[in-house]
Amino acid sequence: MTLPAATTARASATGAHLSIEDLVMHFPITQGIFIQRQIGAVRAVDGVSLSVKHGETLGLVGESGSGKSTIGRCLVRLYKPTSGHMYFGDQDLAEAEGQQLRMVRRRIQMVFQDPYASLNPRFTVGSLISEPMAIQRTASRAEIHTKTEELLERVGLNRRFIDRYPHEFSGGQRQRIAIARAISIEPEFIVADEPVSALDVSIRAQIINLMQRLQEQMGLTYLFISHDLSVVRHVAPRVAVMYLGKIMEIADRGDIYNEPLHPYTAALLSAVPVPNPRVEKQRKRIILKGDLPSPINIPSGCRFHTRCPLAQEICRQVEPPLEDKTGRSHFAACHFSDQVGPLTRTGSVQGLGTI
Amino acid sequence: MATVQSDQLLTQFQPNEITPELARKRRSQFRIIFDRFTRNKVAVAGFVVLAVLLVAAVFAPIITGQTSTYDPPNDPNLSIALSGPIPGHPLGTDDLGRDELARMLFGGRVSLAVGILTALLTILIAVTVGSLAGYYGGWVDMVMMRVTDAFLSVPLLVVLFVLARTFSDGSVPSIVILIAAFEWPSVARVVRGEFLGLKEREFLLAARTLGANDLRLMVRHILPNAAGPIIVAATLVVGDAIITESVLSFFSFGVRPPTSSWGSMLNNSRDFISSDPLLLYLPGIAILITVLCFNLMGDGLRDALDPYMTER
Repeated sequence: MTLPAATTARASATGAHLSIEDLVMHFPITQGIFIQRQIGAVRAVDGVSLSVKHGETLGLVGESGSGKSTIGRCLVRLYKPTSGHMYFGDQDLAEAEGQQLRMVRRRIQMVFQDPYASLNPRFTVGSLISEPMAIQRTASRAEIHTKTEELLERVGLNRRFIDRYPHEFSGGQRQRIAIARAISIEPEFIVADEPVSALDVSIRAQIINLMQRLQEQMGLTYLFISHDLSVVRHVAPRVAVMYLGKIMEIADRGDIYNEPLHPYTAALLSAVPVPNPRVEKQRKRIILKGDLPSPINIPSGCRFHTRCPLAQEICRQVEPPLEDKTGRSHFAACHFSDQVGPLTRTGSVQGLGTI
Repeated sequence: MATVQSDQLLTQFQPNEITPELARKRRSQFRIIFDRFTRNKVAVAGFVVLAVLLVAAVFAPIITGQTSTYDPPNDPNLSIALSGPIPGHPLGTDDLGRDELARMLFGGRVSLAVGILTALLTILIAVTVGSLAGYYGGWVDMVMMRVTDAFLSVPLLVVLFVLARTFSDGSVPSIVILIAAFEWPSVARVVRGEFLGLKEREFLLAARTLGANDLRLMVRHILPNAAGPIIVAATLVVGDAIITESVLSFFSFGVRPPTSSWGSMLNNSRDFISSDPLLLYLPGIAILITVLCFNLMGDGLRDALDPYMTER
């Protein structure tokens, strides 16, 4: 749910677990060897507000370069946001430093996209999984070994794998290792940055089910980042769609998949193939013109107008606010959200959702 | 939804079957590395030869019956000068009639000590400078690399000679410091390059999200991944240092007579190349074998530390 800046309230007060308010992440572009001048900025995240409830999963979708991973990386503070707030409980993640940051990192963990790159090849599985416990000192030396073995079994791996190296495992097994590592210090919140995108389709369901089982057992809250709409539909009861650093639409699963109110969402949905030849033949695809504009030079007005099938003059000039269009907290940032329905009326979204 | 179907998949997939390979005994990290090293026969051979050389050098006083550390292996005896192998002098004598075997063993003490200590000191400096520069980047990198460039741009031998005259007393530690001072910059560049490449890798970001501090990231995460090139560089430094020491000795800036080193013996022999080539071959071959064995051992060590090599 987005909160207007005027009613800024701490996440704890609104019952949300995590509440991002007007998050901005601009990466400066500098020039010069000795004296560096800033000549521009990559506006990766350009004013994003959203919140996630306790124990819930929020799906964050968008194409490559939309800034969805940057939000995830800001949350675990790989980047320090340019401005904005990220309230986690009563702590602002954007402001945390030093010891505070260390404490917060114990509560919020990340699973990366590529399990081939996110595991140090020189570490054994045992040292990979136990490292968080060693850094955060959540367990004594003696406990760590037994806990590591338990964690291996918990994520569906054999405890004898403890002395093996990550390169001896398949992608799915590696992602299990990465998940075991993330949950080893019993965090409350996990940022899952495309956790199944690098995996074989046959393995994806296993990893997703594992994540869902862990969510039930441990009461985890997920921010599930993906470009795969069908995966997000499966895991997330609430979905946010991002385009060029801004949220375009955010709504409950049923609403967003059946009645998208933003042409970008509609276009994304129409690109997902339907595993039913009869439906597939009939449905109309919305083909977007051109490429994703550069985040260095974001179009004026509505940032989607350069590719939008509904774009009018007003779209070039006035940036549409992200507002609740239906009264059921279905937010969309579009001047013509009432015209998105006819665009998709040909049944483009039915039958979607198998992984 | 796909839940039912994929849960079935999951139960089917439970990876509990243990192949014989997986069931092998739990081994310590050190044991794993040791096993991998011993599988490389050439590297083991290099290690064995080096061990023999080192033992011979360390026990030189016992083997030759001389007691001093580096100094006069034995007194000159011009009556048997430049003899070939004779009883009591299995490798013959030099131009002053001193026992060649004793000089080789005591010279080996100097050369091996210079080689190994220089390599260690070089790695220490180079890893410190290179890792800080590569990890922190920015002005730290800028300053450190300009200093490195300054060292690299200096004509090595000229400066070494000047410094040797003013700074060195011809002792082994002073020579080690002198040579290491000019060996570290090139190795530091290697280390910096490795750190630059590795610090952007995703597993490093992952470690950072766990709350790992800079020291841990550098020492535990990046350094082991950079170990290969550093070890290779170190073995090259050993050879380089032994040869540089011989050059210094040649211009009488190295260890001072009557102390011998392989380098100084090699240079003494040039007047007798045709009359007594043994004086040339002995130190020459000793240097060759030492450098070669260090390189072979370094390659083996690099592979042993690389987890990807397990299968070979």
